[in-house]
Amino acid sequence: MPKTLKRKELRFGLEMIGIYLGYTAIFWGYPFLWMLVLTFSRWNFVGKIRFVGLENFQRIFFDSTFWRIFLNTLNFLAYLIPMTLVTSLLYALALGKVRYLRSFVVFGFLVANVSSGVAYSIMFSNLFASNGPVNRIVYALFGTTIPWFSHPQLAVFSICLMITWKFVGYYGLIIYAGLQAIPQSVIEAAKIEGADNKTIFTRIVLPLLNPSLVTVSILVTTLTFGIFTEPYMITGGGPMQRTLTPLIYMYDTAFRRINPSYATVVALVTALISFGLVMLIRRLFEKEVSFE
Amino acid sequence: MRKLFVYIILISTVLSAFATKLLFWVAPNALQEAFWKSIVAEYKNVRPDVEIAVEVIPAAASSEEAILTALAAGRAPDFSENIFIGFAAQLADIGAISSFDEFGQDFWKLIEARNMKRIIESWKINGKYYVFPIYSNPMLFWWRGDLLKELGYDRPPRTYSEIYGISKKFTIPNERYGAQIIAGRNWWDRWFDFIMYYYASSNGKQYIDTARRRAVYNDDHGVKVATFIYEMFKNNYTAVDLGSNPFYMGKILGKVTGPWEINWALETFPKVMEHVWVSPPPVPDDFPKDAPIYTFADTKGLVIYSHSKNKKAVFEFISWVFSRVESDKKWIEITRMPPAREDLGTNPAFEEYMKDKFFKAYAQAVGYAVPPAPIDKTIDVQMTMTNHLIEPLMYLKSDVKSAIDKSIREVNKILF
Repeated sequence: MPKTLKRKELRFGLEMIGIYLGYTAIFWGYPFLWMLVLTFSRWNFVGKIRFVGLENFQRIFFDSTFWRIFLNTLNFLAYLIPMTLVTSLLYALALGKVRYLRSFVVFGFLVANVSSGVAYSIMFSNLFASNGPVNRIVYALFGTTIPWFSHPQLAVFSICLMITWKFVGYYGLIIYAGLQAIPQSVIEAAKIEGADNKTIFTRIVLPLLNPSLVTVSILVTTLTFGIFTEPYMITGGGPMQRTLTPLIYMYDTAFRRINPSYATVVALVTALISFGLVMLIRRLFEKEVSFE
Repeated sequence: MRKLFVYIILISTVLSAFATKLLFWVAPNALQEAFWKSIVAEYKNVRPDVEIAVEVIPAAASSEEAILTALAAGRAPDFSENIFIGFAAQLADIGAISSFDEFGQDFWKLIEARNMKRIIESWKINGKYYVFPIYSNPMLFWWRGDLLKELGYDRPPRTYSEIYGISKKFTIPNERYGAQIIAGRNWWDRWFDFIMYYYASSNGKQYIDTARRRAVYNDDHGVKVATFIYEMFKNNYTAVDLGSNPFYMGKILGKVTGPWEINWALETFPKVMEHVWVSPPPVPDDFPKDAPIYTFADTKGLVIYSHSKNKKAVFEFISWVFSRVESDKKWIEITRMPPAREDLGTNPAFEEYMKDKFFKAYAQAVGYAVPPAPIDKTIDVQMTMTNHLIEPLMYLKSDVKSAIDKSIREVNKILF
């Protein structure tokens, strides 16, 4: 290959990847370096940065609010993983039975996924208010009302209900794709062998859905660490700090307590915990699936 | 003629080249923006050599966040409004704002001209004045006069016992309650419940000793207020969740609110508003009968940022605006919020606005409305008050004394 052509190709290649490299350097590299600087320093948005070594990391170990939030996140996960898995699975199974207007049903469920968090938070808080429509029905039937957002444990559950409503359409599609990937021949073979519907579902469909179910579990886990709008709008982190989430704490620490350095450490430790949990889920539940 | 035109262009070009340029951030509120734009346009005639660019505080989750981000990026304005005292204390702590004491006697002349000597005293941060308060929204109770009349009352309740009395008559658990006593569970809600009741009971005494950095609400007043909250929940006279718009739906007899709700309520619930009685916050039974009742002031002001190279020009502008009573009249006309001055009820210039019963009630309370404690840890302190004082009382998880003692200990840990 002539030298000039080689040089031309090299230049073209560099130009092509240059855009990506530049983008990565500005929007990923720079914030990452800045994050590292912040974690080992004290800064208050104004003035000079002061190096404080591991002080911010030491503080987080004795920060009772942070560990309260960690427990809250586990509490959210304890509701969200089963709720989203069961509802998404039911949705996917139901979608498989829909003969007409399937795209319309899919679209209807996905609308929740793209709707504004602030808007639906206001809608749900009115729906579940003590004199809202849901409680009026409950009161008419049972003579009592349910403290959806004012009881510590029920508030967590109610927020999980909202999140499940928002994501069931999206996660349901992931599971639906998993269901479609299961070859009919496997099901038919099981039927010939005399397996009933329950056996086919528990012994064949569910195990073969493992990749989809694990994917949804991982997505829910990462989503849980990022809950912000619903508790911020409805409960303000209460009652008894039970709906306080890592993101609310980071936001308050950075912009209300004027301590971006500690907020960065909270973000970093939260990300590490989230990553650890995702790896644990994969190790415990991920199975290699083959349709052969 | 052509020569004159050329001269005018030349002079204005030279003037604008040498003009003092100021950047002013105003609250993200259409009414306040309209007020400041019109004031700045007037000022241009007085001082053509000063160019003030009025910009709304950029969109963010809060004004505080936008200002901090701008400070970090070096894009902060010369001065801004919409600053509450807690945020001012934080900004002063990091050296981001400069104190008005720098302007010496000129500052005090302005304070005198605007009749705000007593008001400005509660804005002192570490012995200095960093904020020029613009408006003061006293928090007052609204009562359903129509429902109270049905119960046989011809005036709003004044003391805790009177509230227990009306609540006992009106309450049907799970259906309707006496009053909304707790504003919510967010940190800022403490301004509108415990702190407000504490100011009312103690004649405006601060709940934090800022010099010693100690919480001091574990006194007789604090105990009385906490007992009132506890009794209301214990007797089912109020509830943790009262639903949406309970006041207008007739689910409660009374609630606390600020003047910002007047216009909205008049438009949305005009029939209810015809029968609304406005009163100061409730006080303990032994509170002197004719003494004025203090309340909490949701109040905001102006600050000048330390990095500004034209602090004098900024102060001259502020001075020009607020030494003229016309500016405050215009403020009322546009925003319907009471300016932070003590003569609203006595100055004939404001007489015409006093015909509105709601504005009158709020304006008369301005002189007795106290802002929050000027501390840099407002959020943590009030979150702790929520977790260790208000919630244990609401959920009846603790007795009054234990809740107060525990919250005092936790708040002091933060302040230490």
